[in-house]
Amino acid sequence: MTPMTIAKPLRRQSLAALFGTASFRLTLGSSAILAAVALLQFSLIYWRTTEYEVERADRLLDREAALMAAQSPGDLLEQLRLWQTNDLRLLITAAGLFDADRHPLAGNLVEWPEKLPVDGAIREIVVHPLDQGVRTIRAEALPVAGGRILVIGRGLRDLQQIRGIMLDAIETALIPALAFSLAAGAWLGRRNLARVGRMQQAIDAIMEGGLHERLPVGRGGDEMARLAASVNRMLGRLEQLLDEIKGVGDDIAHDLRTPLARVRAGLERARLDQARLDQSRLDTREPGVLPAAIDRAIVDLDQCFAIVTALLRIGEIGSGRRRGGFARIALDAVAAEIVELYEPLAEAAGNRLSLEQGGSVTIDGDRDLLIELVANLVDNAIKFTPAGGAVVLSVVRSGGEAVLRVQDSGVGIPPAERALVLQRFYRSDKSRHIDGSGLGLSLVAAIAGLHEARIAVLDGPDGAGTVFEVAFPADRATL
Amino acid sequence: MSDIAFIPPVQDQPRVLLVEDDAAIAGAVIAELTARGYAMTHAETGGAGLDLAMGGTFDALVLDRLLPGMDGLAVLARLRAEGVRTPVLVLSALSAVDDRVTGLKAGGDDYLTKPFAIEELAARLEALLRRPAETRETVLQAGPVEMDLIARVARRSGRSLELLPREFRLLEYMVRRPNQVLTRDMLLEDVWHYRFIPQTNLVDVHIGKLRRKIDPPDEVPLIHSIRGAGFMLKIVE
Repeated sequence: MTPMTIAKPLRRQSLAALFGTASFRLTLGSSAILAAVALLQFSLIYWRTTEYEVERADRLLDREAALMAAQSPGDLLEQLRLWQTNDLRLLITAAGLFDADRHPLAGNLVEWPEKLPVDGAIREIVVHPLDQGVRTIRAEALPVAGGRILVIGRGLRDLQQIRGIMLDAIETALIPALAFSLAAGAWLGRRNLARVGRMQQAIDAIMEGGLHERLPVGRGGDEMARLAASVNRMLGRLEQLLDEIKGVGDDIAHDLRTPLARVRAGLERARLDQARLDQSRLDTREPGVLPAAIDRAIVDLDQCFAIVTALLRIGEIGSGRRRGGFARIALDAVAAEIVELYEPLAEAAGNRLSLEQGGSVTIDGDRDLLIELVANLVDNAIKFTPAGGAVVLSVVRSGGEAVLRVQDSGVGIPPAERALVLQRFYRSDKSRHIDGSGLGLSLVAAIAGLHEARIAVLDGPDGAGTVFEVAFPADRATL
Repeated sequence: MSDIAFIPPVQDQPRVLLVEDDAAIAGAVIAELTARGYAMTHAETGGAGLDLAMGGTFDALVLDRLLPGMDGLAVLARLRAEGVRTPVLVLSALSAVDDRVTGLKAGGDDYLTKPFAIEELAARLEALLRRPAETRETVLQAGPVEMDLIARVARRSGRSLELLPREFRLLEYMVRRPNQVLTRDMLLEDVWHYRFIPQTNLVDVHIGKLRRKIDPPDEVPLIHSIRGAGFMLKIVE
């Protein structure tokens, strides 16, 4: 295909697209309305002027006819003969005196107007006076003395002049205005078409996977720029969400890969070891290396399942469906229960776990989830506290909020990592060797989110250790 | 600590109906439970399972929730409506707590989430079959262990045991189920009524503390760890 053959349909297409733009259609529409209004105005003026002129002509004709009819036949004939040189000529532009046989006697009308009945009523007729061209006049015919018939008429010359002026006005004002507005419309349409074209290009790029692309906003802040800015904000949010999902996907893949790789390596080695063992001895009934390898594989697979289960739970809690099961829960009682449950664990780890006694603090919440939240915080605190340390829980009411604090004397969390610890799968480098799904604090964050609680990670009181603070909002705490 | 292989009590072969459409899981469950002395019957669809359960006399049902044809909970509801009271263990890949609650409400006696350890299934099935009778007795006895539930006193061979309340609750649960495998999840659910999966070996630590008080070094150990499954209060009659 040559460029020429594409160019033509493309041009036609772009012209069609131009006529199809909203701005062009808008200007076209408003131009049409403008023209219609102008024409209507002109017509109205013309119509009213005509009416006025006709009325004036008719009044004049009636008056002159009455005056002329009252004269004697001789005077009338004389007057008509003189009429052409007389002031009356300004009022009466066509006149004729006919005898009973309709033959002209005087005046500039020499042909009997067939369409004019002799009844003294004014009508509009077309005549051809001697001294003028063919024209339309208001005229009346009436019988006068001597059996003669008088025809007088007044041309509507002023009216024709007015019409001429108006047509001139239309030509010189309306047509250029219309042409100008259509041109402006076409220009606006082209401009918008070009903007939309640039946006379409950007959208095409986005659809092809370039989610970092943005729509051109342009200068000036008009509605299209605002729309583009809105879409860009949406794209930003989408990109962020996709990145998060991708990040979570990467984390899942990574955290599942590690135990899965261990399973695979362990099984492979066990098979090789078993094969060597089988070769080197005669009695194959002796237990081989397989049971131990299988046990290890099962442990590693269980860790995979623990990760998947924890992720499903975070998803379930995050979906917010569980808010229906909220009830009044004594937060201090939950903390006491968890202290009792975890005390032997802390003891085994050489730590002291205790609950600072305070008053009863109740909140609105899901008991099972709150237990899980406190349990995970305590579990976490015990894990990261070296032997000889202490983990202290407290539940207090502070400024209307119900605040749960879990304070440990452990390794602490660097300020830069504090926001990260609540994200899925995050584990600071120091803790990579510690078992678990790595999702305990993510679960805590999800449960806190469901309860509209806010989590703060702070330094311990003496700068040592970490304090996790979960503050349940006032309205939930005092309801 | 001593590891022993679990030997099931072979009475007159408990009859168990497994309704499960996944061939691999069904095969593994049937092989293992048959080896443990159960007489297994297998149905692959809800409809077939319902027919068998209505007609046969089974001691227990293991029922998958997601089945072709008829949903597991629908099968369960029909069975209960028809007055079949056979204990049912519901299996499901749905782990949400709400789903568990609906499973139990529909008439299930226990609920197990896939993937499960076959030991967990075996232990729960045994627990269903050997559910302790509701007793009004205030004194429990299992071998040398004696518990007075009113006085909150526990003794081994007449020697008083100094137990914390939570240790007393744990021992009571075990004394009611002697010679029965008790998994960590069962203990956490039944003794502490918790549904969450702890990140650490909480139950082991609690059992360890109880064991140190009950089993002094010079006596025959009562609490045994069952490899890959859980714990057992082993009483030799």
